[in-house]
Amino acid sequence: MKRFIQFIIDFLRSGFSGGILFWAWMLFLSFFIMLWGYGEFVQIRDGMIVTGLNDQVSWGFYLANFVFMVGVAAAAVTVVFPAYVYKHHELHRIVVLGEMLAIAAVVMCLLFVTAHMGRPDRLWHIFPVIGIFNWPHAMLTWDVIVLTGYLVLNIIGGFYYLYKKYADTELNKTFYLSVVYIAIVWALSIHTVTAFLINTMPARPMWFHSMMPIKFITTAFAAGPSLIIIVFLLVRRFTPLKIADEAFHMLSQIIVWCLGIALFLTLSEIVTELYPSTEHSLGLQYLMFGHHGLNTLVPFFWTAMALMIGGFILLLIPKVRKNLLVLPFICLAVFIGIYIEKGMGLMLPGVTPTPIGEFAEYTPSNIEFMVVGGIWAIGFFVLTVLIKGAIGVLLGDVRYTESESRTVRGEQARAATT
Amino acid sequence: MSNFQLFGSIISTCLLGAASIASAAGETVQQDNTCFESRMGLSQVQQREIQPGVMNVKCSPTTGGVLFWGDPFDGTIPMGDMSVEADYSHEEAVVKPREPQIDRNKLLTICSMACHNGEYVPYPENKLARPLKMHKDIVPNSMQLKHGKGAIWCLDCHHAATRTKLIDHYGNEISFNQPQKLCGKCHGQVYRSWRNGIHGKRIGMWQKGGKKRWWTCTECHNPHDVEQGNRNSGFAQLIPEPAPVLPKGMSNADHERGHGEQAH
Amino acid sequence: MSKQKTKEKDANGATRRDFLRKAGTYTAASLSGAAMLLSDPKPAKATANVSWAEHFQKNYRLMTDEEKQEAVERLEKRYSEEFGKKVKVGSEPALEGVLFGYALNIQKCIGCRRCVKACVAENNQSRGEKQQIEWIRVLRMEKGKFSAEDRDVHGYPEDYGIQVGGNAYKPAGVVLEGQHYYEPDQVPEKDAFYLPMQCMQCEKPPCVKVCPVRTTYRDPDGIVVIDYNWCIGCRMCIGACPYWARRFNWGEPDLPAEEMNPDTHYLGNRPRMKGVVEKCTFCVQRTRKGRWTGCVEVCPVGARKLGNLLDPESDVRKVLASKKVFRLRADLNTYPKFFYFMD
Repeated sequence: MKRFIQFIIDFLRSGFSGGILFWAWMLFLSFFIMLWGYGEFVQIRDGMIVTGLNDQVSWGFYLANFVFMVGVAAAAVTVVFPAYVYKHHELHRIVVLGEMLAIAAVVMCLLFVTAHMGRPDRLWHIFPVIGIFNWPHAMLTWDVIVLTGYLVLNIIGGFYYLYKKYADTELNKTFYLSVVYIAIVWALSIHTVTAFLINTMPARPMWFHSMMPIKFITTAFAAGPSLIIIVFLLVRRFTPLKIADEAFHMLSQIIVWCLGIALFLTLSEIVTELYPSTEHSLGLQYLMFGHHGLNTLVPFFWTAMALMIGGFILLLIPKVRKNLLVLPFICLAVFIGIYIEKGMGLMLPGVTPTPIGEFAEYTPSNIEFMVVGGIWAIGFFVLTVLIKGAIGVLLGDVRYTESESRTVRGEQARAATT
Repeated sequence: MSNFQLFGSIISTCLLGAASIASAAGETVQQDNTCFESRMGLSQVQQREIQPGVMNVKCSPTTGGVLFWGDPFDGTIPMGDMSVEADYSHEEAVVKPREPQIDRNKLLTICSMACHNGEYVPYPENKLARPLKMHKDIVPNSMQLKHGKGAIWCLDCHHAATRTKLIDHYGNEISFNQPQKLCGKCHGQVYRSWRNGIHGKRIGMWQKGGKKRWWTCTECHNPHDVEQGNRNSGFAQLIPEPAPVLPKGMSNADHERGHGEQAH
Repeated sequence: MSKQKTKEKDANGATRRDFLRKAGTYTAASLSGAAMLLSDPKPAKATANVSWAEHFQKNYRLMTDEEKQEAVERLEKRYSEEFGKKVKVGSEPALEGVLFGYALNIQKCIGCRRCVKACVAENNQSRGEKQQIEWIRVLRMEKGKFSAEDRDVHGYPEDYGIQVGGNAYKPAGVVLEGQHYYEPDQVPEKDAFYLPMQCMQCEKPPCVKVCPVRTTYRDPDGIVVIDYNWCIGCRMCIGACPYWARRFNWGEPDLPAEEMNPDTHYLGNRPRMKGVVEKCTFCVQRTRKGRWTGCVEVCPVGARKLGNLLDPESDVRKVLASKKVFRLRADLNTYPKFFYFMD
């Protein structure tokens, strides 16, 4: 037990140590986290009237980010799956970083959901035993289960591995691998359930199709690895942890295939909806072409399409895909493209027009920007700490020693040089 | 000569009343807390407190229409007997008397005594349509009565001699408070529906056996103008209540007005 | 009229530029953020008085009769203080042998919106420019103008309503699009009809199914109710409702004390708090005491009927028996208890 507490302390110490760049980055994030605090404070004090939401568009920026981040969380599987199922050696070495990313992403998801709630003070109403948990009827309760489950699985899987490495003891393979394999399936479930959350409502025809879960997963497995590639390249640039090129090649290949399928599904959706042009396609038409002068979403949609299609075409070219100087920029484009398409580009036309045909245009308020920006900052904050801590362990810099003189040796010196 | 005199005296007697009708129609809640129930100008209610803190009616500040009855039975009288057995027989049924509304400017009683007394205006010999110089505020063109498509005329409904009453098929008097007995002569289907409670309006208790205030025909319809004109409806036109507040972020609802090809 | 002005005032101008501008002001606003955090400690009066016990009470459905009584008395005390008048909070349970049904004569409706405003007067919704909640929405449908002249030249008449223009290869897009914000001088208009919508009190309410905390449920008399004190404000129900019947209290409701209707019900028109969902309850505070709803009483043309579906003698059953009846979105199998009919 003492050893475990020591592990936590050492892990955090490693996570919070770094040079001037590190502290500048953390300070930068803290600034946005403060804004989040302020935004949440105002929202809880005055109610959600401080957002741009209304009865016509009652789901907006928060849920859009939520849906997108669930995908990113699930995408940790793109590191874990090849590592364990296909025994991809290079990914296997850094698999724990994927799990850290998943933890940070799920934390963000939970914060987005809390921000979306009108009465966060009554959150306890949903807890089983003390509240009422409308399971299995309410899809939201499924989402609660899979998200917290996924968080727990990743914490157990990731930190068990790190702790064993830290203590330099043998992994219990059966235990560890079963956690890993459950987490792989679970990762699919979180995004599937999130899709079910919105596609089980015939009142919202744009979402009401069975393609939603697979579309969610493919876009997630394109956006997620894009972020992972960027993070890994940063890790390789700023820490001594070695990540082989093959790991990036593997991930970029996953992006190509998943992005390709995602684009194909989008095309199928567009043809299916627009050919007959029933009233059910009004949401998609509004997104793509606007509606009687309500055109806010139109440029966003086409930008997203351009980014995704452009990214896909570039990634198809092996020379480009394997160029690690160009790759992060393509990844960024894909990430942003999917963020638009799957975030606001999915949420807003889904609820517009209303089931009784009213169109209303929605713009997030400043408070919403503060809260969302702040949650992203929290996500990056958590991710930075977790990754730095994990790298410390992976490199062997953070190691358990019987004596109290623990070592975070080299770490400080190395970080200072960056 | 005598004709001219008669005409003049009728005009002088009735002008006052006609003028006050016109002003009554224009009155809204602002002036003397008068609201209207269904027919603007002909179903007026005076707003007053019936219990401490409870008003008899709440009214729309924009149109003067009644929005709420503190007491749904305020100012009503028992509906009275009806010739046909109906649902209300085992329920307490009340109506608001129409006579005070119709006669609120005393036009009806004054005219029936001062004009239609058989001397100033002789009792008509038959019910045939003829041009009228009077009552143009009610019936602009008496040769084109907006009711019955030419098949009926004033005296098919109004008592030829007793102008404060309506008349049934047998020449019997019908009170203005019970117009359904008259209207039901022709509109049997609607009359049945009305008795069943699926045509027309009732307020009060929905429960079986509960007390109900029944709305009579002329509380909603103007019998002199029921034919569907520009409004495409048997009701007189009303000023609508204001539209909802636009959703946050919207400055107008112009997009609602475009259709079809202009959609994109 | 002043309506026009208020609309313009309401404008926030949702444009792309706003996205960018907001992102810019974001930084500026943040600097003042910390300062503002310390100032303006204005807690809404309504929330300030909420007792500890109210925060931790159970879901209404699961309360014992004594607990219900306690909860109701607690509220009566709080509301009476807040609104400066004797407020009654009823807790009448569902009536035995009653299933409420509603029938609306779509042929009669003149689109005057008086039901909308009467509902607000009765049910204590938030009002005013800042946050207006109306449970009834009246749609104006254009009937269309038909003329044969243009047909051979431009295809079918490209006019409003039923004929929307285009042809098989060039779909026009929208058929029978309703107008929510119509404001003619007079109603009814010749070339329009009107479709009022509110909660349909479905037998299989999708909103109830998706509620994660079961704060909304269907009582045996067919009324779908909400325990406002249990709602967590997740708005799943708003997403799931195919009739757009549910509204959310985005901020603290704006209910002037003098306009407040003191005759309330726990599950109905008692004053709500911010962050919870509300909707039409067929005026549960009235109907469970035998009285017609506000909208039924106020309709100047008698287009609205309410009664007991289990009683063959009731208005509604007679409508079902003798008129042409339809329900909205019957394809969704929600089985509304709100019927539309024509003569």
